[in-house]
Amino acid sequence: MADLHLDNVSKSFGTLEVIRNVCLDVAHGEFIVFVGPSGCGKSTLLRLITGLESVTGGRIFIGGVDVTQVRPSDRRVAMVFQSYALFPHLTVAENIGFGLRLAKRPAAVIRQRVDAVARTLRIKDLLDRKPGQLSGGQRQRVAIGRSIIRSPEVFLFDEPLSNLDAALRVLMRLEITRLHNRLQATMIFVTHDQTEAMTLADRIYVFNQGRIEQSGTPMDLYNSPSNRFVAGFIGSPAMNFLPGKVEQTGDHMMLKIGSTRLRLDQSFTSVSHREISVGIRPEHLRVVESSAGHVRAEVEIIEELGAEVIAYLQIEGISDPITIRLPPQRHVVPGQQVGVRFASEHFHLFGSNGTRLC
Amino acid sequence: MAETTVSVPSVAPFNPWKVVLLICVGCLALLFLAPTVGVLLSSIKTTREIAFGELWTIPGTIYWGNFIEVLTNPSVPQYFLNTIFVTLPATILSIILGVLAGYVFSKLPFAGSNLLFLVIISGMFFPPQVILIPLFQFFNSLGLIDTLWPIICVHTALGIPICTLLMRNFFATVPNALREAAILEGANEWQVLIRVALPLSLPAIAVLATLQFTWIWNDFLWPLIFTQSDEKRTIMVGIVNLKGQYSVAWGVQGALSLIASLPTLIVFLFFQRYFIKGMTMGAVKG
Amino acid sequence: MERSALYWRVVLLAAPVTVFAVLVIWPLFSSFFYSFTNWNGFNPEYDFVGLENFAKIGSDRLFIGAIINTTIWMVAAILLPTLLGLALALLLDSKVPGGPIFKTLFYLPICLSAVVVGQIWIWIYQADWGLLNTVIRAVSGSSFNYAWLAKPDTSLGSVIVAWSWQQTGLSMVIFLAGLTSIPNDLLEVCEIEGASTWQRIRIVLIPLLTPATVVVVALSVINSLKGFDILYIMTGGGPFHSSDTLAMHMYNESFKKYLMGYGSAISVVLFLIALTIIRIYFRNLKKVDEIYG
Ligand SMILES: Nc1ncnc2c1ncn2[C@@H]1O[C@H](COP(=O)(O)OP(=O)(O)OP(=O)(O)O)[C@@H](O)[C@H]1O
Ligand SMILES: [Mg+2]
Repeated sequence: MADLHLDNVSKSFGTLEVIRNVCLDVAHGEFIVFVGPSGCGKSTLLRLITGLESVTGGRIFIGGVDVTQVRPSDRRVAMVFQSYALFPHLTVAENIGFGLRLAKRPAAVIRQRVDAVARTLRIKDLLDRKPGQLSGGQRQRVAIGRSIIRSPEVFLFDEPLSNLDAALRVLMRLEITRLHNRLQATMIFVTHDQTEAMTLADRIYVFNQGRIEQSGTPMDLYNSPSNRFVAGFIGSPAMNFLPGKVEQTGDHMMLKIGSTRLRLDQSFTSVSHREISVGIRPEHLRVVESSAGHVRAEVEIIEELGAEVIAYLQIEGISDPITIRLPPQRHVVPGQQVGVRFASEHFHLFGSNGTRLC
Repeated sequence: MAETTVSVPSVAPFNPWKVVLLICVGCLALLFLAPTVGVLLSSIKTTREIAFGELWTIPGTIYWGNFIEVLTNPSVPQYFLNTIFVTLPATILSIILGVLAGYVFSKLPFAGSNLLFLVIISGMFFPPQVILIPLFQFFNSLGLIDTLWPIICVHTALGIPICTLLMRNFFATVPNALREAAILEGANEWQVLIRVALPLSLPAIAVLATLQFTWIWNDFLWPLIFTQSDEKRTIMVGIVNLKGQYSVAWGVQGALSLIASLPTLIVFLFFQRYFIKGMTMGAVKG
Repeated sequence: MERSALYWRVVLLAAPVTVFAVLVIWPLFSSFFYSFTNWNGFNPEYDFVGLENFAKIGSDRLFIGAIINTTIWMVAAILLPTLLGLALALLLDSKVPGGPIFKTLFYLPICLSAVVVGQIWIWIYQADWGLLNTVIRAVSGSSFNYAWLAKPDTSLGSVIVAWSWQQTGLSMVIFLAGLTSIPNDLLEVCEIEGASTWQRIRIVLIPLLTPATVVVVALSVINSLKGFDILYIMTGGGPFHSSDTLAMHMYNESFKKYLMGYGSAISVVLFLIALTIIRIYFRNLKKVDEIYG
């Protein structure tokens, strides 16, 4: 069965270490999303899994078989490239059947398989066109068609939707979910888009500088990020980070943010006398009358998004602005003095090295 | 202000600048065309007419004798055949070798490949005289002097730099993802080259074909060095040879030059686009 | 994976590298070897003469003449086609009606062989009925019949003109390519700022043509260094060696006098000159790349 297992995989280009001791386990049929900042090595990891690049350390198992030294085409993986990588001189049918033709399968078999794939992806009437005559979404489908015809065990998608416009992205996203439901194959999907990551993934892997920062279900990552990096990376608009100080007063712990002091719950007792970073998501902040808030702030910019309002506020004594997500009927105007209340049960506290404190 | 509106090209229906420019360019073109027209005129005039200074006048009647003389000279077809036997294989071989090397340099680079590439490319810049003597000695020791083989070999080798350069630059524009997609589908490098890279590179091949064909067809030095007997001459050496035979038959010489240039002229006029591209690409991207 | 990549590199490079090594690299080194011998081209036996050939170069009056001629030839071959080509490119770029036809016309000579070009120009310079003298006679009314190619004073210059006629089209095309690569918005800025045509050429076009100029100059130098065919056809280096260049001199010594050892020494000098020029070219190419990306 097609589980994918990476055992301590590393990759260096010369002295540049791009992938550092990555271990990951993907169960059969799982939909995995890789996210991470640009240049963190997501594409490189996919290329290692396909065999287009060879590892400099560690081993790769697909379906329990060590494929580290196996040729790319024998690994039963398929990849859909960001640029689609369709052969411009071949028709859609020839593109989809390219691998079968290389394998010298009889023409009748090829045609039959291509037809079947085309039917699944609803591109039957495009078969005689060249890629240049297709729209972005159609090209995407052809690229997917080429990858599914050999019924691979693992599908790899490297930012496949990033060249499409917003509406088409949503359509293709649904298309890929449908495909996953039908094929029940293992899929790994690289994206920069938060919504894609949250909606598609069974599990998300967050990468940074060639390492896995955290993995888990989308809600796991959202609700309990294990470090400051993940907390800041998952969620849009991003989590706010405020400088805070933990102090012991009497028998409780107090958290000092700007000019205000908040009482901390029992669970925070492990912290003492430390400069920390307090993370709080934009939806866990409330705007109130200026006298009723934990802190005073001035509204700087308002972004009306229809279903919600994003406000950027400047808190007294704190240099970076904070982001607040408001219901659409909330009327605040730039320049207004307001109070901000924190929902302290939603605090994420991180130490100065970025690790989660509780 | 009024002055500037005159000199700046505008949407006005009549622009005196354009006319001045046209006249300038026209005069220059005439000057440039004169030599070629001279050959054309000479080929349809009798020696007497030329000698009496009537070369540069528009002829009343066309005299075909020069062409008849050239076409019935038994040496001329032989020269042509020899040139074809040299030009076609050398053009094809040099392109094939350039494709192979260019593919490696653009898609399979390795430590030191840049240096090797530079060494090969620099071959384009050196005067061929530098390797004249050793090559003469080499083919002499093989007993191949006065055959067409050394000319084919040398043109193939000397074509490698430009062909490699152009093919490398062209292959570099073929996205790496295409190669990788093909490899994932089970292709090996040879299949990637033949089925993906090459079909996409036909314009570059066309450029090289026109360029190499013209250069090799027009070459004079190598056939001059490597051939001695009349049956082995190529057309360009042949023309010079026949000059003795037709020493004052200028019209025949003109007709001969014209006929000898016909293949390259045709290639040039039909594939001008590729030809110019090749000349500039090879030069600019060096 | 890595192993098969190595395999394919070897397989694909084997033929081109072997052919190039055997027919270009190896002869290049042999040239150095022969330059230390007195080989005559036939005799299988020859002696090492050390630096004798190179010592002889210094006292060879013809060699000195050839060096001077090569320099003249190269300087003229840079200036004439470059300036003419630039002028033509600027003219054609200003949207003259019939531009493509003119372009073809100016470019046409490049596809002619040196033999044919030489032939054509021999007739232009022909004393009795050549175009040049015909025109001079018509203008001056005198009976002018100067044999341009047969006089030491004018032989080299006459060939240079013929050579420039053939090469100008190439410079023009490269300059035209450079002109089309100049972003349109820069020209639009000129128009908005109200620059005159001449200002536009001087302040924007010519500076932005620097990369093209480097290429044209380098190409002219390289091509002129190779210039042999047309000299051989038009003057044969004569009269009295007045149009001998290094390439010509090397041919004469090796294949007329059969002093292959000495000829090799000349070709070594030719090689070193070419090497120097190429290095200057590449260094400047880098600089140009840095400035203009
Ligand atoms: N062939 C290569 N040679 C040298 N360095 C490379 C090579 N391929 C990738 N790199 C480097 O490895 C690092 C990771 O690149 P990679 O393409 O995997 O990033 P990524 O996470 O996919 O980024 P993006 O989100 O922008 O696609 C980058 O710093 C890149 O410069
Ligand atoms: Mg990437």
